[in-house]
Amino acid sequence: MTETLLAVRDLSVTFGPRGRRVSAVDGVSFDVAAGETLGLVGESGCGKSTTGRALMRIVEPTSGTVTLEGVELTAASGRTLREQRTAMQMIFQDPISSLNPRRRARDIVAEPLDCWKRAAGEERRRIVDELLAQVGIDPVAYGDRYARQFSGGQCQRISIARALAMRPKLLICDEVVSALDVSVQAQILNLLEDLKAEYGLTLLFIAHDLAVVKNISDRVAVMYLGRLCEIGPADTLYSAPAHPYTEFLLGAALEADPEAPRRGEVLQGEPPNTLNPPSGCRFRTRCPFATERCAAETPPLREVAPGHQVACHFPLTIARREGAGA
Amino acid sequence: MSDETLLRVREVTTTFDTPQGRLTAVDGVSFDLAAHESLGVVGESGSGKTVLSRTIMGLQPRRGVSVTGSVLLNGTEVVGASEDAKRELWGRQVAMVFQDPMTSLNPVVKVGRQIDEVLRVRLGMGRPAARARAIELLEMVGIPAAATRYGAYPHSLSGGMRQRVVIAIALAGSPQLLLADEPTTGLDVTIQAQILNLLDEVQGRLGMSMILVTHDLGVVATRTSRLVVMYAGRVVETGTTRDVFARHRMPYTRALLESSPKVSNPSHTRLAVIPGRPPNLLELPPGCAFAPRCAYATDRCASERPVLEPADEPGHLFACFNPLPPRAGSPS
Repeated sequence: MTETLLAVRDLSVTFGPRGRRVSAVDGVSFDVAAGETLGLVGESGCGKSTTGRALMRIVEPTSGTVTLEGVELTAASGRTLREQRTAMQMIFQDPISSLNPRRRARDIVAEPLDCWKRAAGEERRRIVDELLAQVGIDPVAYGDRYARQFSGGQCQRISIARALAMRPKLLICDEVVSALDVSVQAQILNLLEDLKAEYGLTLLFIAHDLAVVKNISDRVAVMYLGRLCEIGPADTLYSAPAHPYTEFLLGAALEADPEAPRRGEVLQGEPPNTLNPPSGCRFRTRCPFATERCAAETPPLREVAPGHQVACHFPLTIARREGAGA
Repeated sequence: MSDETLLRVREVTTTFDTPQGRLTAVDGVSFDLAAHESLGVVGESGSGKTVLSRTIMGLQPRRGVSVTGSVLLNGTEVVGASEDAKRELWGRQVAMVFQDPMTSLNPVVKVGRQIDEVLRVRLGMGRPAARARAIELLEMVGIPAAATRYGAYPHSLSGGMRQRVVIAIALAGSPQLLLADEPTTGLDVTIQAQILNLLDEVQGRLGMSMILVTHDLGVVATRTSRLVVMYAGRVVETGTTRDVFARHRMPYTRALLESSPKVSNPSHTRLAVIPGRPPNLLELPPGCAFAPRCAYATDRCASERPVLEPADEPGHLFACFNPLPPRAGSPS
């Protein structure tokens, strides 16, 4: 396998004062190999965005380690942290509020270069023009326009150009297409694929839309209530999910095809309160297969197939699917 | 068919006066909706789908908006109707479910009271009867411990539960037509599936007609029998849901379908892309609004406006000078 770029071990984030503590992320571990795209899916409150932010240390992890290219970010501080952070950049959901409306596209993209004094004068201009052109914004016609003059899709393109200015190795995309129209969403997804190839980027793609995540990811990780349920190659995980929650999630995904068969049962109820999560497996309160063991023991992530791990005492194996007549 | 028609929309045009000039949000839209039928209205932002649903409801600000054409709901004309006449329709003939359940509920009034209001004001029920009926409605929309939740404030409910309350309010007057404008946008996928199932179920049980307005083709694919595809305020294609998905003729419909990623496609499937973005309604081209983004556009498309013309299948119409060839058989 290719080398690991990002290693996350037992990452936990808790918010709030003692007694009313919300465990937003609880013991999450995963690796991202150089050059791959890892999709992180889950419903609201599952901790996917907090995980992304904790990697950048926008929110401080309560425990656990994050290692980027062998440097432990969670132990770093001051200048080391700042320098390491240039190797990872983040793009956010709302493209319009991510940009200062009163600044010009060109200056927004140049900001990281100015901060780090990476380029000035003619070279700075050349780099910025190149970045804008690469994300599909004509630097001559639009470079001097203000952020407020751009549409949502164009603002997202500028955000991407800004993130690329530091030539990062890892790009964390947090719901970057969810606010966009379908036709614009497809443009941005294709753009990310192209840029990934061109810059040799590694992507952590956080989103709630299962179809979008599958489209862009090599591997997919599923989160529920702060924990990882399942992680595996995108195609395998979607065709043969091993965690009951993944199965329900996929069953609820709506396919734009009237002939598509409906995939089984709809998950009932809503996620429990994060202030007081269930003991053992956090999904057990809604899981049709839960037993006493699920309440007593937290299921660890274990491998069910090469590269396919699941945190469930009773994973949906092929034998069990056939046995159930499914 | 005509005696079954619940809603008849004819040449509806809604314009707004803005500081930049007159903006046509809905432009000459016509369609019929039969009793018990469910119709999907799809389009991207700015396509006019929300303004259309508000026009059908008769919900417009008084100033700066003008509506022409006719919206005949069960024999009553909505366009130009007085506020009193519209109030007679709202709740009992037609009700609406909006996108954001937090802003459609009053945050400082208990949810039960908000349902009661419809029952007491519209149906003239007394307090005890209204309360009992409200609890019944809460149960019907799948809210557990309905009697307790009757006294809950909206902020203590989750987004999915709030949307259920909004649906309960809409159903309180037993309307014949339910307009649902992006009812599941902003909800999680599993909750979205629950809400769509609930709408399906109550529609069937109460024998209502439903108009489901959405940008998400996945939402309408299996939940509606007919579709209206809108672009820049106009209907560009309409037909049975199956025909529109499998035998669409308008290039925009195809582009919309092919640019949405699908769960059933392998990962890294290259998405077909529509260049450009939805047009500015203040600067619409004289011809087909989609022409600047269309791969099949000719000079005629830029200067002349295509009108809806029939395709091979009954009820299937499209507005295009250079339509895609009719396709037989299963969808791609």
